Amino acid sequence: MEVVYPGHVKLTDKEKTNICYLSFPDSNSGCMGDTQFHFRIRRCPGRRSVVQAHTDYNKDCPAALQSVVLLSKLPFVTLYNYIVSVIAPEYFDNGEPCLEAACHDIDQWPDPCPGETLNLPIMGTVVQVRLPSRSDKVLTSPQIKNPSVPTMPANNILPSVSEVDVYSAFLPVLPHIQMLWELVLIGEPLVVMANSPTICSGTVQALVSTIWPFKYCMDFRPYFTIHDSEFREYTTKTQAPPAVILGVTNPFFAKTLQHWPHVLRIGELAVSSPKTINKLKKVGTIKTLDSKPGYPDKEASGGSECNALKRYLLELTQSFMIPLERYVASLMPLQRNISPHKGPPRLKSFDTEAFLKTIEHSGPQLTSGLKGDWIALYRRFFRSGNFEGWLRFRQEEVNQKLQALHLEVLCQADLLTWIQDKQEVEIVDLILRLREKLAKINENQLPVSNDMLSRLQHHHDMIVCSLPEDLQSVLKSNHGN
Amino acid sequence: MAVIEIKLCLLGDSGVGKSSIVHRFVYDSFRPYMENTIGAAFLTKTMIVEGRTYKFQIWDTAGQEKYRALAPMYYRGAAAAIIVYDITRESSFHAVKLWLAELKRHASPNIVLAIAGNKNDLEDLREVSYQEAQDCAKSHGAIMIETSAKSAINVASLFVEIGRRLSNLDMTMSLPSSNSNALNVNQRTGQDVKGRRKCCGF
Repeated sequence: MEVVYPGHVKLTDKEKTNICYLSFPDSNSGCMGDTQFHFRIRRCPGRRSVVQAHTDYNKDCPAALQSVVLLSKLPFVTLYNYIVSVIAPEYFDNGEPCLEAACHDIDQWPDPCPGETLNLPIMGTVVQVRLPSRSDKVLTSPQIKNPSVPTMPANNILPSVSEVDVYSAFLPVLPHIQMLWELVLIGEPLVVMANSPTICSGTVQALVSTIWPFKYCMDFRPYFTIHDSEFREYTTKTQAPPAVILGVTNPFFAKTLQHWPHVLRIGELAVSSPKTINKLKKVGTIKTLDSKPGYPDKEASGGSECNALKRYLLELTQSFMIPLERYVASLMPLQRNISPHKGPPRLKSFDTEAFLKTIEHSGPQLTSGLKGDWIALYRRFFRSGNFEGWLRFRQEEVNQKLQALHLEVLCQADLLTWIQDKQEVEIVDLILRLREKLAKINENQLPVSNDMLSRLQHHHDMIVCSLPEDLQSVLKSNHGN
Repeated sequence: MAVIEIKLCLLGDSGVGKSSIVHRFVYDSFRPYMENTIGAAFLTKTMIVEGRTYKFQIWDTAGQEKYRALAPMYYRGAAAAIIVYDITRESSFHAVKLWLAELKRHASPNIVLAIAGNKNDLEDLREVSYQEAQDCAKSHGAIMIETSAKSAINVASLFVEIGRRLSNLDMTMSLPSSNSNALNVNQRTGQDVKGRRKCCGF
């Protein structure tokens, strides 16, 4: 590793080794010229989260193979690929001052905030990009409003920070798209073999995006090499293959991962290659749904092929997701059961069997028109990390909402009247509960308006004042700690 | 009112006061000891000139030699460039001529050029005469103005003048027969230079 910017960044030796191996071709398979791709590495213990890297290497002169790697925790694949494509050629021409300048620019970038349009200066240009937000309307990615055409365009507008071109990525395997969607959804081990890191990383990224708005919760490595520190862990034959998606280029993997259930081979897309081999090898019967012939119907969606494919995948995912959401909604406690005198209610637990019963009469077969064993697909999904991740997220979200509702009820309740005929113990209990709420608000765990906060504080203070003085002083001294 | 985004870069030798001019323009403040710029600093400022709203995207480049090769990134696609020299340093004015030649060759042909002779509060130490700079600017069709970032002299006028030229250019470009109008622009610029000289009290 020649240089690292910014200088204060510390990488462990293991991280360095991984980055170095991942930044260059893993085999001698013939890709020429500059190559751009991205990969993910595991951070060393104590440094949580996975890092995405975006690489551009210059192969014009093999003796002086050079790579520019951009590391980030954020999954903004499209943005970073663009940024690397700006930095790398300048670095290859002008060397280190270029990285210094680039880091200096990046240092000035504002913090990412969902839904905001950011202007990011980088090496003489300004990249304008909008960060996605959960409230975004599906598929109609909001346009960045473009101020009147300037004398000279000052900005480069990127349509998205993270959206990949699924159509180009899946073009060679389009007939298998529904099966691929199933495999990703239920978290099956899957390896993508391609001739170049660009193709395998693009395909892996496209794969994990197929189940959006579900989040793919397992590990995935858009580009994985035989030198990776997880090589042994992921290729072991003594255990079942791990639930990960790997992108590889080294032919050696064909042997190493022979025992894997699903292998996706993507042939060379370039015209130079006479034979295009694109196939999906699978062991056993995994496919649970019948595929619908004639997919994707371009005319029906009336858009570009890419949008048609996105819509197809989204509809498939939504057909699967809606019954789950509906069931979660049924687990919500009733509004009238939220009482100011009790603790906040919580979401009832998810009972998979009870859920599957609801599928019989209102399952996805109705919305998607796809026949097949949906129940089996759900059962596999329940065993996957995707379900676990989705459920945890929904639970947190719902429980937070319930906390907020409870808080609102608490603020509106006439607590002073309520305590009039109550025992001191009960009143103290209420005070402690109020304090717990206030503490949570102060830790920013509950979304609450200033007005509500002051009302809650007022309630608290009034109730404390209503108590005998000796108890008041005990409570006050307690509060100080 | 639509905002017109303008890429603008500052070029010139190290220590002539490029960053100080930008700081005066953007924050209306002055720091006597500015640290060296790394690569280029990026700042924005919105200004209304002749009814048009311009948002200047300012790339304040580093003057140090080691960043010299990066300059094309900053003037590429720029609608305006300010070349700064220090009136108390002859060598920095010599660099202006080199920048002018480079921009003529590689920058956009419509680029609005401005030459700023900074530190004009240090009259006693002057090495570059006003007339010499004025002649140089005229031969390149550039705006020429002496500034002092320290005393806040002419810094705003520098950007206003650039805005004016840009709006003239805008008008010319939106009209079908641009030949006759291009002439007009040149004539008007000539008058502007004279007028400003008077108002700045030279």
